[in-house]
Amino acid sequence: MVPEQQQLHSIGQATWRRDGQAKVTGAEEYVSDITLPRMWHARVLRSPYAHARIVHVDTSYAEALGAVCLTHADIPKIRYNERIVSTPPHLYRDRYVLADKARHVGEAIAAVAAPTEAAAEQALRALRVEYEVLETITDPEVAMWDGTEPIYTNVQLGDQELSIEHNIAVQRTIELGDIEHGFANSAVILEREFATSRIYHAQMETKGVVCRPESDGGITVWPTAQSIHNVRQLLGEIYSLPLHKINVKRVPIGGTFGSSIQMNSVIPICVGLTLKSGKTIKLVTTREEDMYDHVRYPSRIRLKLGATKDGLLTAGHMHALSDIGAHNTQAFAFLSVLSGWWASLYKLPAMKFEGKAVYTNKTPSCAMQGFGNPQATFAVESLMDDLADALGIDPVEFRLRNYVGLGGTFWGQGPSVQSIVLSDGVPELLEKGMEKIGWPGRPVSGSQTGRYRRGIGMARGFHTSGAGAPKPGEVIDYSGAFIKVNEDGTVDVVHALMDHGGGTLDAIAKIVAEELGIPSDRIGISPADTLTTVYDVVTHATRGVYAGGGAAHKAARKVKAILLDYASRVLGIETNALVIEPDETLGQGVIYCPSFPERRITVGALAKLCQTNSWGSIAAVESLRQVNCPPAYVAYFVEVEVDTETGSVRTVRAVIGSDCGTVVNPDLAVGQLEGGLSKGLGYALVEDNSWEQESGRLLSKGFWVDGKTPAMSESPLLEDIDTFFADSYEPSGPFGAKGIGEAATNPCAAAYGNALYNALGIRFTELPITPERIVASMVAAESGATKAVLV
Amino acid sequence: MTARTINLNVNGEHKEWSVAENDLLLTELREREGLTGAKYGCGIGECGACTVLVDGQPSLSCLVLAQSVDGCDVLTIEGLARGGELDPLQIAFLDQAAVQCGFCTPGMVLMGRALLNEIPDPTEKDVREFLKGNLCRCTGYSSIVRAILTHRR
Ligand code: FES
Ligand code: FES
Repeated sequence: MVPEQQQLHSIGQATWRRDGQAKVTGAEEYVSDITLPRMWHARVLRSPYAHARIVHVDTSYAEALGAVCLTHADIPKIRYNERIVSTPPHLYRDRYVLADKARHVGEAIAAVAAPTEAAAEQALRALRVEYEVLETITDPEVAMWDGTEPIYTNVQLGDQELSIEHNIAVQRTIELGDIEHGFANSAVILEREFATSRIYHAQMETKGVVCRPESDGGITVWPTAQSIHNVRQLLGEIYSLPLHKINVKRVPIGGTFGSSIQMNSVIPICVGLTLKSGKTIKLVTTREEDMYDHVRYPSRIRLKLGATKDGLLTAGHMHALSDIGAHNTQAFAFLSVLSGWWASLYKLPAMKFEGKAVYTNKTPSCAMQGFGNPQATFAVESLMDDLADALGIDPVEFRLRNYVGLGGTFWGQGPSVQSIVLSDGVPELLEKGMEKIGWPGRPVSGSQTGRYRRGIGMARGFHTSGAGAPKPGEVIDYSGAFIKVNEDGTVDVVHALMDHGGGTLDAIAKIVAEELGIPSDRIGISPADTLTTVYDVVTHATRGVYAGGGAAHKAARKVKAILLDYASRVLGIETNALVIEPDETLGQGVIYCPSFPERRITVGALAKLCQTNSWGSIAAVESLRQVNCPPAYVAYFVEVEVDTETGSVRTVRAVIGSDCGTVVNPDLAVGQLEGGLSKGLGYALVEDNSWEQESGRLLSKGFWVDGKTPAMSESPLLEDIDTFFADSYEPSGPFGAKGIGEAATNPCAAAYGNALYNALGIRFTELPITPERIVASMVAAESGATKAVLV
Repeated sequence: MTARTINLNVNGEHKEWSVAENDLLLTELREREGLTGAKYGCGIGECGACTVLVDGQPSLSCLVLAQSVDGCDVLTIEGLARGGELDPLQIAFLDQAAVQCGFCTPGMVLMGRALLNEIPDPTEKDVREFLKGNLCRCTGYSSIVRAILTHRR
C-alpha cells in the first residue's frame, strides 16, 4: 500500500523516453555504427568442428596480405570467466581469449585485422588451421559416461586448479529439513520430469566492439555490454593493464536479455588485436557467429512435491541437469538460482535440491531473461496445478495457501542471498486475474471434444529485484551514482548503469527529480564511461530501478541536504523547515519555507549563488548495496484455443498482472509485460535450437528465423492482451519501486502449459509445446498410450 | 569486379556513387553516407532491421545490390523527419512507447510509413501482415501496432 503522504510529481508520469528521438530518427549510435579515424576491421576464425585439438595455425599467408593476426600463442595465458558477478572464490575459469582447443562449433581460434572489412575477410580465408578432430559430445547424459572424451581435464576455481571428472562442470546439493519425514506425512505425492529448451536470445543487435589505443599506452573500448566496469576489470586482469588506463564507454545496446551479462568473447579479441597492432579496430559479429555464441540454459528437472489433504506442501525434491555447452560461464550460479527460485515460490517445510551442470560440445549457455526462473517456474507451476487437481482444490486457492509472501523468506539469488518479503501484491494479482479471465467459467480439464478446444490456465511467479541481501553472498551487488547540480539549477546524473531498452535510465532521472523536487526534464543523464563513474555491478537480476535507482536516490538525498543547507544560509530559515518543489511556471525547482512562503529561491539561483560566492559545487557521490532482494511478483492468466487437427495454439486472451511496487514509467512498464509475454510465448510454444549429434552444428545453420522468434503476425492481438499493476509499495525501494523486467516472462510458459492441460487434459512436460508435440500427444492419448490423467 | 557510376537520390539529395557489382545498398548507406539508421541484423533478409524505402517501396537493403538503385529515390530513417520536424508516425512511436532498445525502430517506422502511404486507414490485421517480416525482440509488437493504428486516426 502506498503511504498516504507520498505525492509524486515525476514518478508515475508517462514521458517520451530520453533516447527516443535519437532512436526514431536513426541518430542513436550502437557499437556497429561507430566509425573512428584510421579504423581497421577485424574478423574471427571460428572452429568448424565441435571438438578438436588445434595442431597448428599458419598465419603467414594472411600476414603476407598485410593483416595483423592473433592466435592462442599471442594472448596472455590467463584463464578467466567472462562473467565476474560471482565473488572470486566462486568463479570457474575455463576460457582463454582465443581457445587452446576447439570445444564447440564457432569457438574463436584466431583473429585478423586489416584496413577494410573486405581485406580482413580475405585475410581470414588465408589462415590455415590444422585440427585433430575429437569425439563430439552433444548429449549431457553421454557426456557423463565413463570413457567419454573429456572436454576439459581441469579448469581453475578461484585461483586453484580443479580437475573435471565425467565432464561435470559443477554440482550442488542444497538441503533444508527432513524430506523423508515430509513425504511420509503427505496425503498426495506427485513426481514428474520436465525439460526446457536451449533457446537463442535473439537480441536484434549482434555483438560488437571498437577499441582504440591511446598514446599513454591505455585503451578506450566501446563494447556491447551490460556492465562497463566488469568489462574494464576483466580486460585489466587479462592484459595486465592498470584500470586507469582502460576506459570502457557505455554504448546503447540493441537488446540483450542476458546475452551480454558476461564480457562478450569478441571484446578481448579486439583488444588483443589493438594491443598487438597499435591500430584502432572494430569487430562486429555476423548473426551466424552470434547464434554460436550464447543460448539460454536448458534444463531437465525431476520434481517431486508432497502435500497434506488440506493442501499444504510438506516436502519437495528436485533433481536438475543442465547442459551448459562448452564453457562454464555461470553454471554454479545457475544451480544456485534454480534452487532459490523454487524455494521462494512456495513454502516447503523440507526441501532437497540436487543439481548438475555438464559440459558438452555446444554453444555455451548463459543467463537469459529470468536466469533459471522460467525453467524452475515451468516445472513447479505445472506440478502445482497437478497437485491442486489431485487434491480437488482450486489451483489459485492452492497457491494462495502455500506461496511465499509478506514476511516470508525470499531467495533472491540462491541460498546465500535471502531477505524477508516486505511487499506482496500476490492476493490482488490473483483476484484480479481470475476476474479478468473469467476463472469460474473455465471448463473441466479434458472434458471437451471437437476440433477446437479452449482452456484457461494460470501460473504465478516473480523475479528478484537485485541480488542484495543483509549478508554478503556469492554475488556482488551494489551500484553507485554521482549527482551534481549545475549553475542554472539543472542536474547531471553520472551513473554507470546500462539501460537495455526498458527505460531504466528514464526511471533514474525520475527518481532523482522526485527526491530533489526538480522537474524531470531538468535532469540530465550523462554519457558514462569507467573513468568518470563509480562502480555498478551490471544490469541484471531485474536490479536497474531498485538497486541502480536506489543508489541514485541515496546520492540525491545527499545533494538535497547540501541544497537545503545553502538555502538555509541564504533564506535565514532552518534547514528542516525548507522544502523543494517543482514550480511549473518557472519550470524549475523552488526552495521555500511553507510558513514563510515569501522566503524562497529557485534551485538555479541558489546554484549560481554558490558559484559566484565561491562556496563550491553542489554534488554528491554515493554507493549503495541494497540489503533486500524483493520479489517482483507476476501472475499470468491465459486462455488458449487449440486446433486439435493441426496442433496450433491461439492465444484467445492473456492477462498479465505485475507487482513492481510503485510504477515509475507506466507506459514502459506495460511494454515490459507485453515483451515478457512475447518471449514467454515463444519459449512456451515454438522457440528451439537443435544441434546435429555428429557435427555439433546448429541445425538452423545460422538462420535466425529457424529459431522461431515470434513475428508480429503471430503475436496476440491488442484487445486480447490485458495488463495491470497491483497497488503495492516496496518499503526498501526508491519511492516504493522494485523490479519488473525479467519477472514479466517467468511464469508464462507454465501458464500456457496449464491452459493446454485445461483444454486437452494432457500435461505437457517438455518445451516448446509445438503443434507436432500436441498432435502426437493427442494421438497417443486417444489410442490410450498415455492417460489424460494424473500419474 | 567492375565498378559503375550510378546516380540516385538519398533523402532528397543527389548522389553519385561508384559501386562494384557486389556492393550492397546497406553497406553504401552506412559506410559511404554515414547513414547508420539502417541496421545490420542478419544480412540475409530475415529481420527487417535494414529496411529503407526505394521509390517508396520498402526494401531490405542488405539484399539490394547498390547498382540496382541507379536512378532511384532512396529514403532512410534519417530522411523521414524534414526540417527538424518529426514525422507524425515517429511522434506516435514516442507517444506509444513503441521504442525500447530501438534497434528495430528505424525499420519499423519506415515499414509503418510505407503501409500508411499505401493504406491510409489500415486495420490491425493489415499492420500485422505488412510488418510481419520485421522482428522486434523487446516490445512484443503491441506498442508498435498501437503507434501505427493511433497515427491512422
Ligand atoms: S539485415 Fe536485412 S533483413 Fe536483416
Ligand atoms: S525495440 Fe528492441 S528490438 Fe524492437
